[in-house]
Amino acid sequence: MLPTLGHVAVVIGLGASLYAFVAFVIGARRSDPRLVESARRAVYATCALAAVASTAMVVSLLTHDFSVSYVARNNATTTPPFYSIISLWAALEGSILFWTLLATGYASLVLWRYRARHPVLMAWVGATLAAIGVFLFAVMTWPGNPFARMTPIPAEGNGPNALLQNHPFMGLHPPLLYLGYTGLAIPFAFGIAALVTRRTDEAWLGIVRRWTMVPWIFLTLGIIAGGWWSYEVLGWGGYWGWDPVENAALLPWLTATAFIHSSMVAERRGSLRIWSSVLVIATFVLTILGTFLTRSGVVASVHSFTASAIGPWFLGAILVALGVSLALLVWRLPDLAGGGRPAELVSRDSAFLFNNVLFLGLTFAVLFGTLLPLGIEAFGGGKISVGAPWFNRVNAPIFVALLFLMGVGPALPWGRASWATLRERFAIPLLVAVAALAVAFGLGMRMPAPLATLGLAVFVGGILLDELVSGARARARARSEAPPVAAWRLATRNRRRYGGYAVHCGVLVMAVAVAVSATLSSETTTTLRPGQSVDLRGYRLTYDRLAVGPLRDDPRVLETRAELRYTGTQQGSLATASRQYPNSVTPIATPAVRTSLGEDLYVTLLAADPASGSVTLHVLVNPLVVWIWIGGAVVALGAIFAIWPDRRLLPMAAPAGADRPRPAPRPGTATHPASLPAGPEPALDAAVGEAPPSGGARVDA
Amino acid sequence: MRRLRWLIVPLVLVPVAWLFLQGIGQDPRALGSQLVGRQMPSFTLRTIDGRTVSSESLRGRPVVLNFWASWCIPACVDEHPVLIDAARRVGGRAQFVGVLYQDRVDDALGFLQRYGETPYPHLIDQASRLAIDFGVTGPPETYFIDATGVVRAKQFGPLTADAMRAKLATIGVTDR
Repeated sequence: MLPTLGHVAVVIGLGASLYAFVAFVIGARRSDPRLVESARRAVYATCALAAVASTAMVVSLLTHDFSVSYVARNNATTTPPFYSIISLWAALEGSILFWTLLATGYASLVLWRYRARHPVLMAWVGATLAAIGVFLFAVMTWPGNPFARMTPIPAEGNGPNALLQNHPFMGLHPPLLYLGYTGLAIPFAFGIAALVTRRTDEAWLGIVRRWTMVPWIFLTLGIIAGGWWSYEVLGWGGYWGWDPVENAALLPWLTATAFIHSSMVAERRGSLRIWSSVLVIATFVLTILGTFLTRSGVVASVHSFTASAIGPWFLGAILVALGVSLALLVWRLPDLAGGGRPAELVSRDSAFLFNNVLFLGLTFAVLFGTLLPLGIEAFGGGKISVGAPWFNRVNAPIFVALLFLMGVGPALPWGRASWATLRERFAIPLLVAVAALAVAFGLGMRMPAPLATLGLAVFVGGILLDELVSGARARARARSEAPPVAAWRLATRNRRRYGGYAVHCGVLVMAVAVAVSATLSSETTTTLRPGQSVDLRGYRLTYDRLAVGPLRDDPRVLETRAELRYTGTQQGSLATASRQYPNSVTPIATPAVRTSLGEDLYVTLLAADPASGSVTLHVLVNPLVVWIWIGGAVVALGAIFAIWPDRRLLPMAAPAGADRPRPAPRPGTATHPASLPAGPEPALDAAVGEAPPSGGARVDA
Repeated sequence: MRRLRWLIVPLVLVPVAWLFLQGIGQDPRALGSQLVGRQMPSFTLRTIDGRTVSSESLRGRPVVLNFWASWCIPACVDEHPVLIDAARRVGGRAQFVGVLYQDRVDDALGFLQRYGETPYPHLIDQASRLAIDFGVTGPPETYFIDATGVVRAKQFGPLTADAMRAKLATIGVTDR
């Protein structure tokens, strides 16, 4: 009954999105607002239908309805409710259903939000989003039907993927990633609509940037959560392995990041607008490419779902998206020409251009490495794999260059930098960086990679800090405010700029943590009998005993657990285990991780002999790993700070709209009237020439 | 000249389509077997109904050795009727043998009861020794061994009727 309801919802969803697509296109061409309105309602309906189907699936999972093939494959009667619910994204068909729910949700939100504005542009946005809906619902209607039945009905199901049910993080990482992926369809739709309608003005740019930032934040968090999950669960002590699925998430992130930067040039100089729409289109094509690569079984990956019939469908989607986008671009090629004077070499303008070049270089390198095995096999060269060392070697120099630009770029003025400006901005941070290097060297750090990263990070961090401090001091002087108050007001009145600085600081923290943890960790593999101990980098681990028994949550799972005590920088006891799931060939490691700000103690159980009680352990001391997650949080918070809507600033920020009625000041803001900027903005801002956020960004605020 | 720029669309699309079409339909995890062309590993194992089967006792007739498990859903369920059907039709011209892969005997018996009894025996693979010798990566996996005991083909994943016919041919069994 319920599965039938779900299936019917999917089929109606296909019809509704088809209708929406046709009605949007005809409505846009005939300028028929009623047709467009009905199309928009149809999109809302697809979201409701996807919600019905998802609910039907979740209930089927919770009630262990094995008549549904998906449930039989990904659930068992003993699966705890939490893992039953998140099994919605445990495998291919369910994840496409979840994907559809998010995609139609985003589409409805955007179409609703801008329902009263930009009628022609929004109709084409709607048409693009509806076309994506048609594809997703069609996949669920034919090759990837999540509600396909199974006869005879098995008495017990296979249970969720063992790795999926091993850690609650699986409830967090995939939804974050999918919120990122699906959201990137929004800027794509605006990119297509811009090419069709030739409209890439301020308002367009503002909307696209905002709707790139939202999925960008989710994608960033999703990628970091994935690394964290991998670190906490997989037991190899690492967090990134350049696996095709990881690359698939990174590729659109790279182009989306490039867009966020190029859009600033587009806004400032009026150039790079078509280029910006190329980037958002590329971003979306890369999200489907990633999905295709990993979900159709084209490349081998630890994440790949079983090879399935959806491969050709996704290939078709890539070709359609790529073909339509390319055709539109070729059609609009004349618009690409022009775009102002060339940028000075040492200026913020050119820093942004270098930024785009580097991000595209990374994108190309990662894409090349991911597709190379496929290409070699297609030419009959047999199976090869491109491993982490290749990616590290190729990408590390680009990352270092980006790190450099991250601090230098924002501190450079637009237009042209004078020698005096350079000296004033960079002399002190440079000295501080050299001093920090000397200290690190004195403390015994000798490896070039972490030294270089550290020096660069201190240099860049110094520049960013200097920007904030001198800006705040100027403001404090001009308005006689306390320095912290001045700093906060300065930041909240230039959210995009200081939010961006915060993001850059978070990246710096991550970069240092990655460089140090990757090069300076210590590890040992040892076999211990009860009572014996092992020493590693100031830690002493003593092995107490082995415990073997079924898991309390799920008695079908057999856990082998080694209990240890440790002393050193941190002290306490830990248990590292391996779990044998009935549906997994290999036992799943459950490493014990003891985290402190300085380092992690990481213990994996490699083997255990119940007869003698002896265990083989892999022990690592990983320095600074926690700072990767902290840095990631700073990145996300900085980005949220940057896009936080600030209504108080509306009149100031949108001089073009000065004739509009000014919103009444909210209670509590009376002491900071909206017309605050009476005096000149802080000297630094004037010198750097950063305009306050323009009207474009505020249209949608 | 202006028309020529449209060429960029097929110039991009065709290679992309070609490259990915090559990849579709292959399972990237399906690796060839080192065993193909070599003697199969020797073994002596008990069946679930208490008899003993050894590699020696199988000599002289082509063998289809199928690693499966009751928990392997749906792949093992999918290929189950294909195996039963082929074993019946081939009759005495080849010996089919199932091997339980990391499974409990009771569960396996339940599986056979539910999805159909087979006309051939199933071995209990203590500590997965035989699976390790064959290099099984996960069920279902099926090895086709000729009458001299040489492994001729391997099926990675569930058998379809077509795959069964093609692989039986490699060990000299034609399935009408």
